[in-house]
Amino acid sequence: MSRNNPEHELLMTRRHFFSRSSAGLGAAVLATLLGDELKAQGGLAPQPHFAPKAKRVIYLFQSGAPSQLELFDFKPKLYQMRGVELPASVRMGQRLTGMTATQATFPVAPSLFKFAQHGKSGAWASELLPHTARIVDQLCFIKSMHTEAINHDPAITFFQTGHQLAGRPSIGAWLSYGLGSENQDLPAFVVMTSHGSGNVGDQPLYDRLWGSGFLPTRYQGVKFRASGDPVLYLSNPAGMSDPGRRRFLDDLAKLNQIQLEEFGDPEISTRIAQYEMAYRMQTSVPELTDLSKEPDAIFEMYGPDSRKPGTFAANCLLARRLAERGVRFIQLFHRGWDQHNKLPKQIVGQARDTDQPGAALIQDLKQRGLLDDTLVVWGGEFGRTVYCQGRLTEDDYGRDHHPRCFTIWMAGAGVRPGITHGETDDFCYNITRDPVHVHDLHATILHCLGIDHTRLTFKFQGRHFRLTDVHGNIVKQVLA
Amino acid sequence: MRGVRYSVWLVTMAAAAADPPTTVEFNRDIRPLLSDRCYTCHGPDQANRKTKLRFDVEEVAKSDLGGRFALVAADPAKSEMIRRITSQDPVQRMPPAWAGHNRLGDRDIHLLRRWIEQGARWEKHWSLIPPRRRVLPEVKDKSWSRNAIDPFVLERLEREGMKPSPEAGRERLIRRAALDLTGLPPEPAEVDAFLADRSPDAYEKLVDGLLESPRYGERMAARWLDAARYADTNGYQTDAERFMWRWRDWVIEAFNRNQPFDLFTLEQIAGDMLPNATLDQKIATGFNRNHRGNGEGGIIPEEYAVEYVADRVETTATVWLGATLGCARCHDHKYDPFLQKDYYRLFAYFNNIPEKGRANKYGNSAPLIPAPTPPQQAELRRHDELLAAAEKKFRELEPEARRAQRDWEKSLAGSTPVYWSAPAGRVARFFVRQELDGQRVVEAGDVGNFGFLDKFTLAARIYPTAATGAILTRATEVLEGDGYGIYLKDGRVQLNLVQRWLDDALRVETEAPLDLNRWRHVLATYDGSRESDGVRIYVDGRPQKLRILLDELNQDFAVKEPLRIGGGGGLENRFRGSIEEAHVYNVALNEREAGVAAVEGSIQEIAALPVGQRTPAHADQLAWYFLEERAPGNLRQAWSELQQARRQRQRFVESIPTVMVMQEQETPRDTFLLVRGAYDRPGEKVTPGVPAALQPLPKGAANNRLGFARWLVDPANPFTARVIVNRFWLMYFGVGLVKTVEDFGSQGEWPSHPELLDWLATEFLRSGWDVKALQKLIVTSATYRQASRVSPGLAQKDPENRLLARGPRVRLPAETVRDQALAISGLLVDKIGGPSVKPYQPAGLWRELSGGQDYRQDHGENLYRRSLYTFWKRAVPPPALMLFDSAGREACTVRESRTNTPLQALTLMNDVTYMEAARVLAERMMREGGNAPAERAAWAFRRATARLPGPRETQTLLDSFHYYLDQYRTNPEAARKLISQGESPGDQKLDSGELAAYTSVASLILNLDEVVTKE
Repeated sequence: MSRNNPEHELLMTRRHFFSRSSAGLGAAVLATLLGDELKAQGGLAPQPHFAPKAKRVIYLFQSGAPSQLELFDFKPKLYQMRGVELPASVRMGQRLTGMTATQATFPVAPSLFKFAQHGKSGAWASELLPHTARIVDQLCFIKSMHTEAINHDPAITFFQTGHQLAGRPSIGAWLSYGLGSENQDLPAFVVMTSHGSGNVGDQPLYDRLWGSGFLPTRYQGVKFRASGDPVLYLSNPAGMSDPGRRRFLDDLAKLNQIQLEEFGDPEISTRIAQYEMAYRMQTSVPELTDLSKEPDAIFEMYGPDSRKPGTFAANCLLARRLAERGVRFIQLFHRGWDQHNKLPKQIVGQARDTDQPGAALIQDLKQRGLLDDTLVVWGGEFGRTVYCQGRLTEDDYGRDHHPRCFTIWMAGAGVRPGITHGETDDFCYNITRDPVHVHDLHATILHCLGIDHTRLTFKFQGRHFRLTDVHGNIVKQVLA
Repeated sequence: MRGVRYSVWLVTMAAAAADPPTTVEFNRDIRPLLSDRCYTCHGPDQANRKTKLRFDVEEVAKSDLGGRFALVAADPAKSEMIRRITSQDPVQRMPPAWAGHNRLGDRDIHLLRRWIEQGARWEKHWSLIPPRRRVLPEVKDKSWSRNAIDPFVLERLEREGMKPSPEAGRERLIRRAALDLTGLPPEPAEVDAFLADRSPDAYEKLVDGLLESPRYGERMAARWLDAARYADTNGYQTDAERFMWRWRDWVIEAFNRNQPFDLFTLEQIAGDMLPNATLDQKIATGFNRNHRGNGEGGIIPEEYAVEYVADRVETTATVWLGATLGCARCHDHKYDPFLQKDYYRLFAYFNNIPEKGRANKYGNSAPLIPAPTPPQQAELRRHDELLAAAEKKFRELEPEARRAQRDWEKSLAGSTPVYWSAPAGRVARFFVRQELDGQRVVEAGDVGNFGFLDKFTLAARIYPTAATGAILTRATEVLEGDGYGIYLKDGRVQLNLVQRWLDDALRVETEAPLDLNRWRHVLATYDGSRESDGVRIYVDGRPQKLRILLDELNQDFAVKEPLRIGGGGGLENRFRGSIEEAHVYNVALNEREAGVAAVEGSIQEIAALPVGQRTPAHADQLAWYFLEERAPGNLRQAWSELQQARRQRQRFVESIPTVMVMQEQETPRDTFLLVRGAYDRPGEKVTPGVPAALQPLPKGAANNRLGFARWLVDPANPFTARVIVNRFWLMYFGVGLVKTVEDFGSQGEWPSHPELLDWLATEFLRSGWDVKALQKLIVTSATYRQASRVSPGLAQKDPENRLLARGPRVRLPAETVRDQALAISGLLVDKIGGPSVKPYQPAGLWRELSGGQDYRQDHGENLYRRSLYTFWKRAVPPPALMLFDSAGREACTVRESRTNTPLQALTLMNDVTYMEAARVLAERMMREGGNAPAERAAWAFRRATARLPGPRETQTLLDSFHYYLDQYRTNPEAARKLISQGESPGDQKLDSGELAAYTSVASLILNLDEVVTKE
C-alpha cells in the first residue's frame, strides 16, 4: 500500500480543526496541542462516542511471542503424549513457518513447568509466574486469541496497526488522534522498550510500530528512553542554563511575533505555542522520569530491576507515573520471548523480567484508584507450537510460532476481572470455544475507551480507513 | 487569548464557505458525494453491489426500477433518491445507519436536489478525459499576468471578487526561488547581485542560474526518492543494509541533465528492455527494486514474492497515474473503474523478475548488477588495459617459456622430488596418519574461520569405507548443527553451509555417488555469494554435476568450533576410512586450479610422463611451478606481473558497488488473479494488460513491461502529465491543484483550477516533457511571485490559499531545514552522490530496538553532506528528519506533510547539528560580520533570511546578545561548553565568552519561524 500523508496541513494548526470539525475527528490535535484551551471551547470534541469506562491504556507488549503452554494454558493430557507425533487430525494441514515446515517429525513437547490454580477464580498459572498468580482475580484471561501472521514483523505490525504490512497508523496513534491527551505538558502516546534476559539479541523492534502511518506525524508515539535524553533532544546543550533558555524563548517569541504581525499566518502563533510546550516538556519529562522520590516500598513491590533504568520493571513504574499524569496510551515493549530453542532455560529469565513488575503495576494502579479508569493489556504477537522445534530432550525443547491460539490478559477499566474467556483443545493447537481475533481485541479496547471502532476513521487514498479495517467484533463477554 | 479569537473567526469562515453553489457541476459537486456515500453498495464493485441500482453508470442510475426511478431529471419529487436520503424512517433512510460516518448532511442533500432540478446531468469522471488545452481566459486586469498560468488564476480570483497580492520583495523572492529550486538558501553575494540587477529579466536570469546549479538535481531527487521508497536498508525484521545509492545518484543526474520526463519514465520502468540498454538505463530500473525485501527466517517466500510485485504495481500507479489501484487487489475498485482483474493484468507486467520471495537478509538481492561509477568505469578500463598489456607481454614470451621449460624438465631427472601445488590462498594443510574408524576425529584448531560472505575452498584426499561421514568441517558437534562442512552423504559429496539446518542453509551435493574403498580427491569451492551457483564440487579435479537441496542461506554460519577432519556435525557423522591430506584455502579455486590441486605425485614424476600422457592438470602444474619457481628472471617477472594484474583487477571488480535492477526471466512466470489478494488463493490465470477503462497500449508497443512504460507516457494517457505537473505544483505551493495528489479518482478532490491543470499538462507534453521548462514556467509566473502575507481578509476567505491570491508560505521540508542550517553556517559539503553517510544521531537508537550493531556515526565531511545522502534505516529512520515530517520510506509517499510540534522546537534548539551550525555561524559573525554586535547580528540574520533585520528585530537580537554576553562572561565554563558542540574544530583565537553569546544569538536566528519557512 502506498503511504501518503493527507490532510496534514489542515490538521496542524488551530484552523485545521475547525475546517474538519464537521467530519467529526481531529479534535485530538488541539487537545494535544492546546490542552485546556480546547476544552474551554466546549462541545467541540465529538469523541468519545459514548461514555468510556477507561480513559487510558497501558499495553505491556511481550515481543517475540511468549509461550502460552509454559505460562497460562495448562494442558495436562500432554504429559502422557511426550514425544508422540502431533496427530494430523489436530494439525489439519495448517501452514507452518519455513523454520519447521520441512521438519521430519512434530513431537509433542509438554511443558516442563508446574501449574496450579489460583485465587477465587481458580485461574491456572505456572510456577514461572508466582506474582501474577497472586493477582489472577483481577485479571481477565483470553486464551483464544488468534492471528493471521506467522512471522514476527507482520504479526507485530498486525497487532499494532491492524494490517500485516507497514504503513497504517498504530493503535496508539489512532487513540491519540481520536482522544488526544489529558496532559498539555506530555505527549498523548508514549512508548518504552526493554531487552529481555531470555533470547537476547533476537527480534528487533521498529520505530514504525508506534508510527502514525497515514495520520499526521504528530500522533506517532514518543519514545521515552532510559539512556541519554528521555525524549530526543530534550535537554539544553551543555552550557545553556535554564534561565538562559527562558530568555531565549522570550526573545524568540518577540521575533516571531514581529513576523506574525507582518504575515498574519496563524502557523506562526502555533509555532510560538509549540516552543512554549517544548519548554514545559523540559520540566515535565525529567520530573516524570525521576524515580528518586519513589518510596522504597514501591521499588520492593516492582522488584529489584525497577531501580535499573531501561528494564521492564523500571518501565512499569514509569508507566504508572505516566498514567497518573493522564497520558492516553502507554506502551511497553519487552523483547526476548522468541524461544525456538532452549525454551526451558530462556523462559525462566523472561518470566522473571516481567512477572513481578507486571503484577506490581496492577496492584499499584489499584491502590491509587487508577485501575478504575486505566485498561492494562498484556500479551505478545502470537503463540507457540505444542510440537517441538529442533530436538526434544529430557530438559530441552523449542517451540515455533503458532498463530492459531495464544493467551493474553487484560485488567482494569472496562473488563471483567477474574474470568477466563475462550478455550483451546487438549493440544493447545486449535481454539475450541470463543475465538478472539486481533481485530476483535482492537474493537474491544476501543470500546472500553468509549470509541465505536467503526466510526474512528480517516480518509486516505479515497478510502475511510479504520484500525479494524472492515472487521472486528467487540468481545462482550469480557466487558465489565 | 489569541488562539480563541482565531478559532471563532475560522468557524464563521467555515460556515460561509459551506454555502452550496448555485450551478451544480456533476464532477465537482455530485460525483464526490455519490462516490463517498453511495458507491460502497451502489458502485463499480460487483461483489458488493447490494441491488441492481448503481450510481457509477448513468443509464443504470436513471433506469426504471420496477415503476420507480432513483433519478428523474428536473423532478426531485419523483426521484426515489431524494425520498430515501431525506426519509425519517431509519429503515428507509439512505445511506443506512450502519454505514456510520457516511450520513448525508443538509448541504449534501440540498446539492443533490438542486442537481436533479437542473437536469441531473452526467459527466465522465474528469481525470479519465484527456487534458484539453483551452484558450487563456479573459481577465479584467490585463497587466498582472506574466505567463499562461496567471490568467487562469486571475480569472478565478476575479470571479470571487478578489485581487492577487503584490509581488514579493526581491529578498524574499530570491530566497523562495533558491530554496524551491535548489533546496538551499541564496548566498548573500547572490542576493546582492540580484538586488543590483535592475534589468527587466533579472528574475528570469536568476531562475535560469538556479536551474543550472547541480543543487537543483539534488532538490528534485529528494521528492522522487520519497515516491520511490528509496532507503539504505531492506526493511522488515533485520532491516540490514542494502546498496541502492547508484540508483539515487542516477536520479540526481537525470534531473540535472534535464532528461525529458518520458525517457525518465521509460528508463525507470523498463530501461533494461530498451535495445542495447546502457549501464545507466539498467541502473534506472532500480526504481522498482527499492521496495522492502523480507529475509526473516521462517517466512513463506511465495507470500512475499507477491508483496514485492504488488508494491511495484501500487507504487507505479500512485506515482504516474494518481490511481489508488491497491484497492483492486482484493476486489473490484469501489470507486474507480478498475476491476480486480485489471490489477492482476498490471501485476503480470511486473511479475516476471528472476527474484526470490525470501530476500537476502544482508545486502542486495538478485537480480543485481555491478554498477561502477564513472570514475570506477575509468579505473576498470585502466585495469583492463594493464591486464591486456601483461597478457600480451607474457604471450610474446611464451615460445621462449616453452623452450626453457622443456630444457628444465630434462634437467630434473634424478633430482630430489618436489611436491608442489598452486600455493595461492592456501591457509592450512594437514596430513593424517591414522585410520579413521568412525570414532576417531582430528581436531585441527582455529583454522578456516570463514563466514557466509567469505570465499573459500576445502579439499581432501580420501579413502572412504562407508558411504556417509564428515570429511572436513567447522561445525557444531550435533547432527544437523550449524557451521560449514564437506561431507560424504550416501556416497555423494555434499557441501553444507548452515545457519539453521531446515531453512537457513545452503546444501549442494554431487549427482553421482562415489564408489567406496578407493582413493579419491574431493574439493569444494564457495564464492561468498550466498547462492548455490556460487558452489562448485570437484572429484579428482573434474567438476561434478550438482543438485541443489536447499538454497536459502541468509545469515552467517560461522561457529566457535575447531576445524575437524573426519568429524563434526554429530557423532553419527564420523568418517570411516582414511583422509590422507586436507587443505583449506581462503580463495575459491577456479577449475584449472582445482585440477592442479588434485594432482598426485611429485614434479619429477609428472615431468617424467611423456607429454601425450599428461593431463591438462599435469601440464598446468608443471608450467605453473616452472614459472613461479624455476624460470629465468624475465619470464618469472612477466608471469608474476600477469598474476598481479589479474588479482588487482579482481580485487577492484569486487569493490564495485552493485545495484538491484529489473530483469525479465526467460520463461515467463504465470500470473493469476489472487482471490481476496491472498498469495495462496490463485484464481483465473491472466495475461498482462492495461486497465480496460483506459486507453489501449500505443500502436507498435509490445505487450510487456516496456510497452506498459510507453503506455504511461503515451500522450493519450489522461493521467501521467496531469499527475506529474500537479506534484511539481505541490512542491511550490504546499498543496496541489488537485489536493489529493495521490488520488485522481472519484474519491479524490476536484481540482481548484481544472483548466490550469489541463493547460500545464498539455504544455508539459508540448514541450517534449521538458522538466526544467516546467519548473521555470511555474516559478516565473506572477502567481508564484506574489507576496505571501496573509491579510485578515484572505485568512478568512481562503485559509488554505487554494485560490492563490497570495504567494506560498510553507515550512521547509525536513531535509531543507537541516541543509539550510549547514549552508548558513558554511559547514555544508557540496559533494554530489556516493554511498550514504551517517551524520550525528543520538547514540543507542539502533541498539535499543534491534540489539545489534548501533549506528556508527561518521566523522569529518560526512557530517555535513546534504540530508539526501543521510543513511536511511527503515526501522529506525533518522530521528531529526522524521520529526520534521520526512516520509518514512517504507512505501511510496507522494503527499508532503507539515506538522508543527514541540519536538521540532526541541530539535532546533538542542540537536548538536543545529548547535554546531550556530557556533560556526557565530565564529563567522565575529570574523566576517563586521565589528559592532548589531552589524554582526544583521550579517548572520541576512545569511539566514536574505534580508536585513528591522529596527525592532535588531534591538531584540542585540538585547539578547548582551544578556548572554553577561551570562557567559561571568560563567566561562558554561561558555566553553556551549562553544564545544560538534566535531568541527573551533576557532581558538576568538574570545569564548563572546563566541558563546554570538552562538546563542545564532541559535536564535536558526530557530526563527521565518528561517524554517519559505515565505
